[in-house]
Amino acid sequence: METDIRFTHQTLVEQCKTGNPSSQYELYSLYVDAMFNVGLRFLGNKEDAEDIVQDSFVDAFKKLNSFKYESSFGAWLKRIVINKSINHLRAKRVPVVPMEAHEFHLADEEPMETDAVDVQKVKMGIAQLPEGYKQIINLYLIEGYDHVEIGEILDISTSTSKSQYHRAKKKLVEIIRAL
Amino acid sequence: MDNFEKHIRENAAQFNEHKADRAKLWANISAELHQPEPKVIPLWKRPMLRIAASIVLLLGIAGFIGLSVLSGGATETQYVSKELLEIDMHYKGLVSYQVQLVQNNPNLSEMDKAEFLSFMDELDAEYETLRDEMRNNLDNERVLEAIVANYKKRIELIENLLRQLNDAKKSDEDYGYTL
Repeated sequence: METDIRFTHQTLVEQCKTGNPSSQYELYSLYVDAMFNVGLRFLGNKEDAEDIVQDSFVDAFKKLNSFKYESSFGAWLKRIVINKSINHLRAKRVPVVPMEAHEFHLADEEPMETDAVDVQKVKMGIAQLPEGYKQIINLYLIEGYDHVEIGEILDISTSTSKSQYHRAKKKLVEIIRAL
Repeated sequence: MDNFEKHIRENAAQFNEHKADRAKLWANISAELHQPEPKVIPLWKRPMLRIAASIVLLLGIAGFIGLSVLSGGATETQYVSKELLEIDMHYKGLVSYQVQLVQNNPNLSEMDKAEFLSFMDELDAEYETLRDEMRNNLDNERVLEAIVANYKKRIELIENLLRQLNDAKKSDEDYGYTL
C-alpha cells in the first residue's frame, strides 16, 4: 500500500515534468491550500506564508525532474515548504527550537500521559506557545514527522528533538489546562 | 504515543482551516515559471566570429612563441654582458688608477709619458675590437679571455714602467758604496 501512496498523482506529476501549464495548475490546485496552512502554522502570518508557498511551488515545478517517487509528491512538496519556512524564520532570527537547555537532556523529561483534548483548544494553546516551542509541536503533532526527520529539518540530534518536544508538549498541556 | 497525541494526529486535517488566494498565488507562480527565457546565441556559432577568434588565437600563439624566443636570446646576451661588465669593473679601475700614477709622476719626461700613452691607446683600440666581437656573439669564451689578456697587458706595461722608475730612483740614491 505504501507504494501506492508514493505514486499518488503520478500521471499528473509526469505531465508536469514536461512543463504542461494546465497540468501544473491542476497539481497546484490539489495542494495549494494544504501548503498554505503549513506555511501559516510555521510563519504565523498570511503574507509570509503566501510568499513561501509561491516560492515552493516555483522551486518544485522547476526541480520536478529530480523527484523520483521516494515519497509522495505531497510529502516532497511539504518538505520544501517547511524547509523554506524554517530558513525564513532563521533569517528573521526567530528561534525554531527552545532557547534554553539546547544541548542538555534533562532527567525530568519523562513522557507523560495526557488525555485527548478538544482540537480547538489545542489550536489556541499552540498559538500561545512561546517562540521556539511552536515549530517542534507542529512538526511532530500536526505534520506527523518522527524525531529523526525533525532532527534533519531543525538540524538537531534525534535525542534533542525528543527532549525538546516533551518540554514543548508539557508547556502546551499547561496552557490548555489553564484555558 | 498517548491519547492526546493520537487524537491530534487523527484530527490533523482540522488544522487546515485556511484557504489560499489561489488566483493571486497562481498568477505569480505562473509568471515565474513561464518567463520567456532570453535567447542566447553562442558567439562561437557565428562564422565570422569563429574566423576572427581563430586569427586572434593564431596571433596569440605566434606572439607567445616569438616573445619566448626573443627573451631567451636576450637572457644570453645579458649574461655575457654581465660577465664583461664584471671584468670591466675589475680592470678599468685598476688601469685608470695606474695610468693616473704614471701621469702624475714627476720623474717621467713628457716623451716617456707620450710613448707610454700611445701604447695604452693601442691596447684601448684592441679592447674596442674585442668588445665589438663580443657583441657579434662570436666565440664568447675566447673573446673574454682576450679582453682579460688585454687588460693584463696594460697593467703589466704600467707596472714595468713604474718599476723602472723606482729602480732609477734607487740608483739616484745610491752613493756608490755600502756602509
